[in-house]
Amino acid sequence: MIYRSPAQRAITPQHRGRFPGFDVVERADDWDALTAGTVLARLGPAAATVFFTETEAGIAGALLDRLLAQDGEPRIPVLALIDARLAAGETDGWHYDDLPEDGQAWRDTLRYLESDASSRYGTGFAETQVRRQTVLIQQVQDLAAASECWHGLPAERVWSLWTRYACTAFYSHPWAWNEIGFSGPAYPRGYLNPGVDALERFEVADHDDVDPGPFADRVERARHRHLEDQP
Amino acid sequence: MSGSGNVRTRNESAWLLPSDGSRVNHRLRADMRTFDDAEEVDLVVVGAGAGGSVLTQRLARRGWRVVCLDAGPFWDPDSDWVSDERGAHTLYWTEPRQIGGTDPVPLGSNNSGRGVGGSMVHFAGYVPRLHPSDFATRSRDKVGADWPIGYPELKPYYEHIEHELPVAGQRWPWGDPHRYPHSPHPVGGNGEIFLRGAKAAGIEARVGPVAITNGRFGNRSHCIYRGFCLQGCKVNAKASPLITHVPDALAHGAEIRPDSHVSRVLLDEGSGRVTGVEYHRGGVLRRQRAAAVVVAGYSIETPRLLMLSTSRAFPDGLGNRHDQLGRYLMVQGAPQTAGRFEAEIRMYKSPPPEVSTEQFYETDPSKPYRRGWSIQTVSPLPITWAEHVTAQGHWGEVLREYMRDYVHWATLGALCEFLPLAGNRVILADETDRHGLPVAHFAYSMGANDHALMRAATESMETILRAAGASEVMTIDRYAHLVGGARMAATAADGVVDADHRVFGVPNLFIVDGSVLPTQGSANPALTIMALAARAADRMVAIGRTTSGTGTL
Repeated sequence: MIYRSPAQRAITPQHRGRFPGFDVVERADDWDALTAGTVLARLGPAAATVFFTETEAGIAGALLDRLLAQDGEPRIPVLALIDARLAAGETDGWHYDDLPEDGQAWRDTLRYLESDASSRYGTGFAETQVRRQTVLIQQVQDLAAASECWHGLPAERVWSLWTRYACTAFYSHPWAWNEIGFSGPAYPRGYLNPGVDALERFEVADHDDVDPGPFADRVERARHRHLEDQP
Repeated sequence: MSGSGNVRTRNESAWLLPSDGSRVNHRLRADMRTFDDAEEVDLVVVGAGAGGSVLTQRLARRGWRVVCLDAGPFWDPDSDWVSDERGAHTLYWTEPRQIGGTDPVPLGSNNSGRGVGGSMVHFAGYVPRLHPSDFATRSRDKVGADWPIGYPELKPYYEHIEHELPVAGQRWPWGDPHRYPHSPHPVGGNGEIFLRGAKAAGIEARVGPVAITNGRFGNRSHCIYRGFCLQGCKVNAKASPLITHVPDALAHGAEIRPDSHVSRVLLDEGSGRVTGVEYHRGGVLRRQRAAAVVVAGYSIETPRLLMLSTSRAFPDGLGNRHDQLGRYLMVQGAPQTAGRFEAEIRMYKSPPPEVSTEQFYETDPSKPYRRGWSIQTVSPLPITWAEHVTAQGHWGEVLREYMRDYVHWATLGALCEFLPLAGNRVILADETDRHGLPVAHFAYSMGANDHALMRAATESMETILRAAGASEVMTIDRYAHLVGGARMAATAADGVVDADHRVFGVPNLFIVDGSVLPTQGSANPALTIMALAARAADRMVAIGRTTSGTGTL
């Protein structure tokens, strides 16, 4: 059994979740070594940033925190995971013909966010208030929804690039699996109890079954009210 | 029909795998026959996927000296694959490619493999047949194209391959009704919801057809229902050519040469015949001589390779005298609709492929659109599920809230028969890969019939999920699979290969992969590609008998 301090058990990002005590890594002894190595590496100390410049990293970090609502600790090191990926040139195997390749597209769009912050609020993106960052990001999404361009790039493509990289990094992390009740790697163990309302002995039931719909509507309304309030 | 009893006499792959819990017969690979570059082999095959592997296995059994090159690795499931969504990245074709058109189609993990086994290594596992109507959509429905061959010509090959994979499922009532060699698998939460909703909505649904062993088959293990079919099956339960055809090919003297990126098919302009291929391996540019060449690189790389193989005789690409190469490339419209249930579905437990319906497959004369769609369970893992959620426009705290609700959602996917259009095509882009070769640009734009099918398919999935009790539904519009790009036709003006898979105008060059399909139906293409390859092998043997004394080409 791999040693972990009690403080490292059942962690969820920002302590949010609906599956109290559920701890994917607790079952790591059931995994094959190759998979365990791959997954546990994500829990290792975050590597230094090599792809992004310091300025870019500041902007990207703030953007990713907003996109994923990582407004406090414990934080999944999404920025480091994306930086490593871009440094290795590990793309999805395609890019839109009206966007540069992924690495350059990241650099360009971060620069545009910075210029939006500066022209609208007179500050850099990373240093402006969270509420203002949210406004600037929401505007890109609104342009995306309207199939319009943002700084000459189709906003839809930019939105796709940001959310794809952000979600791939975030939901590859065992802490995110704890948050959503996903059991993670399953070889060679497999599952004994598939089916509706059927749990394995190590799975934890949803302790606070809440339809996200009403909550989502509330948040979306608040976000748009906020956007309209802006000068 | 050939029963399962004699599969072993036709293809011994499952018995050539080890029985000790490891997944690769290392002895077989170490003892593999190898050929020298300078030796003229009977056949070189480019690509070890669904088409190339089956063809290699069949012709190796006929005594042909075959070398099959693949750009990617010779996978070992034990040491190369992980039971992890993010970690499966190495299975996809991730060399650069550009996508465009009004409806650009993402490639990579969605539909593009690399390495021995091809994209079947990460395909879901659904293996339905085409319907007889798919071979004549032009004459029946005034859309699409007619094939130069009909369903009856492919039927015996479908039956053979179904036993070799083998396929598990209930008796199939649609298209040409048939049975499957393995009984249907038990279903998980997602399958339960589909069956319940379909029954309540008056829609016929069936369990299967999936290429996952149900019970023992040779030394293949039983499925353990872990849900990572799309990340490469570490169990050896889900079929891919790596385990279903490559072992038997090796046992019969074929060489599989991995990590070999073919950059050009070589043509002797004097004779008009191809003489082999040029390929990059380990930083060295090499040439393999061959009496005949089969390109099996699938719908993007097959046209690209032939476009890169220019000459005075073929300035626009080998076999491209009529500007047909790269055109009529198709994807299926694959909207995914998810429904929210108070109960926990936990769709990640069990293979994503479980239950299907083909009730909407054929043209309904009462509708304004032609052709149709199928519906299947799909069970996205968290990263793919996040894509579904962000497609609704959610981000930040709302995204997190929906994601926390993951265990309550069931997801269905449709496959809509998009029609072949000349403008949906591969060309060479103004960007190069690490070998300095121009990469593919793939343009895709949907037509009016395609849009109508997407809408109707989405509605039918919403109906099923609501009937099963869903309180909320959400859909992501997406695309799946690739076929066409070098289609089979009766004449050179209408396609790239003839009914024998021979490239028009080049007597010893063949294409044996998904790119030859003139239409696609609403069926996942893997089984059809394998069946076509098995048939192509028989056709090539027949051609060889008539053109040379030795039986080869």
